[in-house]
Amino acid sequence: MHGAAAIAGIGESTYYERGRSPHTEFQLACIAIRRAVEDAGLELAEIDGFVSYMDARNDPIRLARVLGVRELRWTGSPWSGGGNNSCAAIQAADAAVTAGYARHVVVFRALAQGQFGRFGRSGGGESGYLGGPFAWNAIYGLTTPAQQCALHTARFMHDHGISQEALCEISLACHANAQRNPRALRHGKPLTREAYHASRWIVTPFHLYDCCPENDGAAAAVVTTSERARDLAQRPAAIVAAAQGTGPAFGTYTQATLGSSHYAQVGQHLWEHAGVTAADVDVAQFYENFTGPVLMAMCEMGFAPPEGIEEFVSGGALQGPDARLPFNTSGGNIGEAYIHGFEMINEAVRQIRGTSTCQAPDVERALVVGGPGYSPGSAVLFGAPA
Amino acid sequence: MSRVLGEHWALPALDDRNRAFFTAGVLSFQQCADCAHVQHPPEDVCEACRSFSFRVFESAGHGRVESVIVVHHPIHPGMAEVVPYAVVSVAVDDVPGVLVTGNVTNRAPDAIAIGDRVEVTFEEVEDPKTEVRLRIPQWRVVPA
Repeated sequence: MHGAAAIAGIGESTYYERGRSPHTEFQLACIAIRRAVEDAGLELAEIDGFVSYMDARNDPIRLARVLGVRELRWTGSPWSGGGNNSCAAIQAADAAVTAGYARHVVVFRALAQGQFGRFGRSGGGESGYLGGPFAWNAIYGLTTPAQQCALHTARFMHDHGISQEALCEISLACHANAQRNPRALRHGKPLTREAYHASRWIVTPFHLYDCCPENDGAAAAVVTTSERARDLAQRPAAIVAAAQGTGPAFGTYTQATLGSSHYAQVGQHLWEHAGVTAADVDVAQFYENFTGPVLMAMCEMGFAPPEGIEEFVSGGALQGPDARLPFNTSGGNIGEAYIHGFEMINEAVRQIRGTSTCQAPDVERALVVGGPGYSPGSAVLFGAPA
Repeated sequence: MSRVLGEHWALPALDDRNRAFFTAGVLSFQQCADCAHVQHPPEDVCEACRSFSFRVFESAGHGRVESVIVVHHPIHPGMAEVVPYAVVSVAVDDVPGVLVTGNVTNRAPDAIAIGDRVEVTFEEVEDPKTEVRLRIPQWRVVPA
């Protein structure tokens, strides 16, 4: 049922440069969760579920114990990949409260890379050997998410005649919008087109500024039924629809999936469930670990055909609250902070509340698209309360 | 032949699923012994008929570059003197649907393009710990 559940509260820790958090990752999670629960006007004892993604370290039992939860009734963590599941986590909480398995489910993500080492760095082969699934790619020096996403982006750009300027526009928009947001780690550090092109290559076609930074911080949201949310402290952000999807070709490196971001099925299911289309979206947050896959995800979600995507994003078309498509309005992973995309969930809720620092006009529908390039993809559409 | 990624980069940890690929000296894939379907990377189960029985399929080793990137940022200290290097994704003519990751041995990193025709070649490396002779599949750009 559309909008049966809603986000009733949001919270986050201060966001830090990688390794600069004075708190442990678990403490950061607790800060964000406490603030989200307080924002909703609830007590910690009333929380009865936790959902995260790619987060084995901040276990629900530990959280329940130290936060004073009375009874834990729902835990979940979507499978496979990483940031691609940011919206699947909201979907899992929606399912739990809509079915009545839990009443108030906290969804969160916490990262302290100073404490636990660098995220997104993999397959270094310190033992001198790479085995199992790593053997097929890492032996050839294809090891990091930047390299993996670059391989898909290079093919997408080749097939559709897309230039480096289209990637630049994504980074420029994130930086421009971050200048309005005091939480953003790029606040006060604007980016020019010239500085983008002058920045060093990480892996073609990605310059330094095509890649999001690595940060420490946590963000959380409270999901409950729309009926209960109406009686709580904030204007609810209704979960109009959420979707996961991938297939029918499974795997990162197949001829059928090369140059795609795994969002064609996500878009199909999300719009079918919501009864609206991309044209009805007032503001969108697209997970940008790297700029290129955002272009693919925009196409696959139905915002523009591949042949038209460069024109769609060009000339600053994504910058500011009055953009053609108000986009990554908090600055996103690149501009605000890389909290594995969860900062985008909170920003979409702010857009529904009307409290963003880059507030789009008359927001009825706010979209979040999870990490592109890894499967299954996921997305969530928030709406104004009924 | 010296290795494209240098003498210090990791070697494959051999197991029953990848031994033929990295040692045979022929571009080898996992083939279903019941339905003849070829799949890559190898799996415990045939994705076409659910069989658990496999044999080795020997490819003629011809293909096409489907994507290429040039890595500039070294992700490991041992890579600092290897960058920039190119990684290619190759479609193999006689194994439809599959992509094989590799490096190109006879072109500079910025002189490799999507659409280039390639043929397999092998980096011959002796694993210093196990003394196993590895023949790691790589690619040579050939005239179209």
